[in-house]
Amino acid sequence: MNNAEHLANVMVTAFIDAVGQGMDIIPVVADSTSTAKIAPFIEKFPDRIVNVGIAEQTLVGTAAGLALAGKIAVTCNAAPFLIARANEQVKVDVCYNNTNVKLFGLNAGASYGPLASTHHAIDDISVVRGFGNIQIFAPSSPLECRQIIDYALAHVGPVYIRLDGKALPELHDESYRFRPGAIDLLRDGNDIALVAMGSTVHEAVDAASRLADQGITTRVINVPSIRPLDREALSESLRGMDRVISVEEHNVNGGVGSIVAEVLAEYGHGAKLKRLGIADGDYAIAADRKDMRAWHGIDAAGIVQQALNMMNHA
Amino acid sequence: MNPFLLSVPELEKKARAVRRHIINLNANSPAGGHTGADLSQVELLTALYFRILNCAPERVEDRDRDIYIQSKGHAVGCYYCVLAEAGYFPLAWLETYQHANSHLPGHPVKQKTPGIELNTGALGHGLPVAVGLAIAAKRDNSKRRIFLITGDGELAEGSNWEAAMAAAHYQLDNLVIINDKNGLQLAGATREILNTDPLDEKWRAFGMEVSACQGNDMHAVVAALESLTPCGKPHVLIAHTTKGAGVSFIAGKPEWHHRVPKGDEITLAMNELKDL
Repeated sequence: MNNAEHLANVMVTAFIDAVGQGMDIIPVVADSTSTAKIAPFIEKFPDRIVNVGIAEQTLVGTAAGLALAGKIAVTCNAAPFLIARANEQVKVDVCYNNTNVKLFGLNAGASYGPLASTHHAIDDISVVRGFGNIQIFAPSSPLECRQIIDYALAHVGPVYIRLDGKALPELHDESYRFRPGAIDLLRDGNDIALVAMGSTVHEAVDAASRLADQGITTRVINVPSIRPLDREALSESLRGMDRVISVEEHNVNGGVGSIVAEVLAEYGHGAKLKRLGIADGDYAIAADRKDMRAWHGIDAAGIVQQALNMMNHA
Repeated sequence: MNPFLLSVPELEKKARAVRRHIINLNANSPAGGHTGADLSQVELLTALYFRILNCAPERVEDRDRDIYIQSKGHAVGCYYCVLAEAGYFPLAWLETYQHANSHLPGHPVKQKTPGIELNTGALGHGLPVAVGLAIAAKRDNSKRRIFLITGDGELAEGSNWEAAMAAAHYQLDNLVIINDKNGLQLAGATREILNTDPLDEKWRAFGMEVSACQGNDMHAVVAALESLTPCGKPHVLIAHTTKGAGVSFIAGKPEWHHRVPKGDEITLAMNELKDL
């Protein structure tokens, strides 16, 4: 894992740089200073952070109040509690009020692995997609993450950024430029398309390499920008593909798999779609990341298996 | 500074005008209303907007203006009538309360109505947001104060107490929480549904400076609001009110939580609310 970096560290560095550039950023935490890896920020700006204790509703409401007063409020705590515990505060105080709050959902997906389902956020994208006004991003690599954060801090309005809880290697070279709404074609091929978001993009890239060894060419599409999303571009990238697999560490409902299904249907594609993720009506198992992904078939091996099944049933 | 600075007799006259607007506004609503809750907080909101608050329609962009948050969003009818009287929008709009896509929806919507600072309606949201506003004012060395009115039934929402702890921890003495304590909520008496008493002891235990007043007595309301001085703690003013205050057949009647006046009731109410 060359150049692997934890996305929370990317986030904190972006905050430090932004304050240095004169942005009035106030991180709001719910006792989550270690989760946010925010010690370097506190060291530089000891009086800037607001810690409301273990109280996510107040975390989000307070962030909205800070934003109404002209601050750029950035919440930094675990995604499962941010989106579930403070659901109505996200809906009302942040989204409905259209406040300039940036919600950072840390350790999203099943990053907390063995800590079990209270600590898993496999519904966050589907929940936030139901709210108005808010933009939604799921970075897959450190460089992309930094560019998304820089965009989000400059954008005026609510943003949710889903961050994985493990160090992620770089997928992009220095020429990469994130654009809100744009899809990110990582690999081209004609036999099958893989569409993924967040950390599972790495599994898709790995799976594409393994499929290439078997003579199957794979198109790998990263969707970092859940909203806005250039649906026309996603449709075009899937045009002519007969087989599509979506991959996410999220429930198959409401995440990138649902988005792909919507686009395929809305644009009249005839492709067959297999959505890989946490199954309909299920929770992620409590297990180490590797074992959890294998169990739910969202690791590279699982993707390869599904791809071969689709190829054999074509 | 408040642009009106009305005397207590002038405030009492203004409160009667607000009550007449409340009767008409609810009578014209095609979708019911919260007449009892509206009438309950008339003195509180009238005193705030016409004597206490440092805010005015032409100063909505002023970063130092005081902020009022209507946490009990269902009493929006009173809020609209006071904002209209204060010049935030034309009085004629009051006839459109809850009409299709009106400027005056059934709960506060800042994108629709000038003067509204926060969209509310779901209960227990005002105080956490007020905490954020108050922290920001402290950090900006602003003299801004944040006022909000909560219902006593609303205090069953736990988010209020989370936020109260944060407010006390950050010593937000620029924050004024007014409890419109009328003792009634949707399903009946607050004491019987979920007793929030003793409220004063609860707030003190959470680190607040607490005072109380008769919330439908303008003299008492003005005296209580003007006696608040920064003391390192958030302020709580427990305003003992009567739901439906000012109209004899509405006052203290739980069924007026979600009722609007009709026919003869309008005439009867207006007779009671004539200027003295």
